[in-house]
Amino acid sequence: MIQKCLWPVGLALFAVTAACAQSNIPIISGGLGFFGATRGGVNSFQPVVAPVLAAPLGEKWLIESRADLRGFISREDGTTGPYQGQFFDTLEYLQIDYNATSRLTITAGRFLTPFGIFNERLSPIWISKFQDAPVIAAIGTSEGYSDGFMVRGALISNPRYAVNYVAYFSTLSTVPQFESARSTGGRVGLFLPNTRLEVGTSYERTLQVQRMNSFGADLSWAPDQLPLEVKGEWAHSLSGHGYWIQGAYRLSQLGGANSALGRLEPVFRMQQFFRNLQIPGDSLPATNTRLPEIGLNYYLPREVRLNASYGRQYLAHSGETNEWEFGITYRFLFPLWPGEFK
Amino acid sequence: MKHRKIAPVALVCLSGLSVVAFAQTGTKGSTNNQKSKPVTSAQGSSPDGEKRFQINCGRCHNPPEDISPREARAVGRHMRVRAMLSAEDEKLILQFLAP
Repeated sequence: MIQKCLWPVGLALFAVTAACAQSNIPIISGGLGFFGATRGGVNSFQPVVAPVLAAPLGEKWLIESRADLRGFISREDGTTGPYQGQFFDTLEYLQIDYNATSRLTITAGRFLTPFGIFNERLSPIWISKFQDAPVIAAIGTSEGYSDGFMVRGALISNPRYAVNYVAYFSTLSTVPQFESARSTGGRVGLFLPNTRLEVGTSYERTLQVQRMNSFGADLSWAPDQLPLEVKGEWAHSLSGHGYWIQGAYRLSQLGGANSALGRLEPVFRMQQFFRNLQIPGDSLPATNTRLPEIGLNYYLPREVRLNASYGRQYLAHSGETNEWEFGITYRFLFPLWPGEFK
Repeated sequence: MKHRKIAPVALVCLSGLSVVAFAQTGTKGSTNNQKSKPVTSAQGSSPDGEKRFQINCGRCHNPPEDISPREARAVGRHMRVRAMLSAEDEKLILQFLAP
């Protein structure tokens, strides 16, 4: 039913977009990836396609969408048996944005739940420094996606600092591809352009039968003087609390960003989760967990990136496992149709 | 108890990483020009726009290698929503990407 309704809407939007000036050319972006992993002796492979559509309409509107199409290939019995594959398709967001004023954007549709920085900013496969999401990624994000409306923008913006905000309401949906929970929340961030430091705090309240609050804090720092990136998050919910912190240093000072060594980027991530209460379906580790990881990214020309990482997961009651991961991603960006810019 | 020691260790490791990085920088000035930048037809035409593009783009990801003027409007609008930029920021970024 939903699909039948969406087709005419999509076609209408396509027609409106096509009728707009050539300066509003939609773009198709996104990533292609192939990932492999060995976790505790269990091998798995994941081919992924994650297309993004961004279609500006007029001076104030934007339609955006991202999907994640991936296969999951693993042995039938974990470590033995023939390989078998499963296919997963996820509509991650399909939203329309209206830039109401210089400091206010109103969004409606399906969107990434704005809690912390990972879900909205770092989750794309061509951005994330590691193959896996942090173990606390499920805290405050209601499985990652929300259906409803959102307001966001820059409350204050000047050369010295910027204060940004986002607030949303999501409704309960059980429609396939549009599943979401009833919740509300938001984030406030302070960005200092001169030091390229951003700190933020997030809040989410689930409005289901069981009402729960989640809190979070995040940090992002990319100094101008160094090819260094430091990012981290802390989050707390009734299920438990935890953090992840990550550092990435591009060796571009060794001959430039395009030299053989300058394309290397060692990365490190430490994360921990402390279980407080068992809540079924919260998508968090069942027990206390800690996971230090080290990795190496290599940026090839033409937006191709190779990555490999090793992590050792310590679970409170089930011991330790090694996690080896490798992958290749390709990031693409091109206009949806040919034409001259006006 | 053991896991409580990990957080300080992680912070120490990151601090160490920072110190090593600063040491490598030595007395050099800004090395921003060594970070990858998108290739556009507008290099240098809007220094303020370029600065805002670099600062805000880098909050989430490395800048794309290539953005043509035809893709600029969609990129700028997308950045405005995602990075919660003001209309002025979007305008300056667009001037840089597609003068």
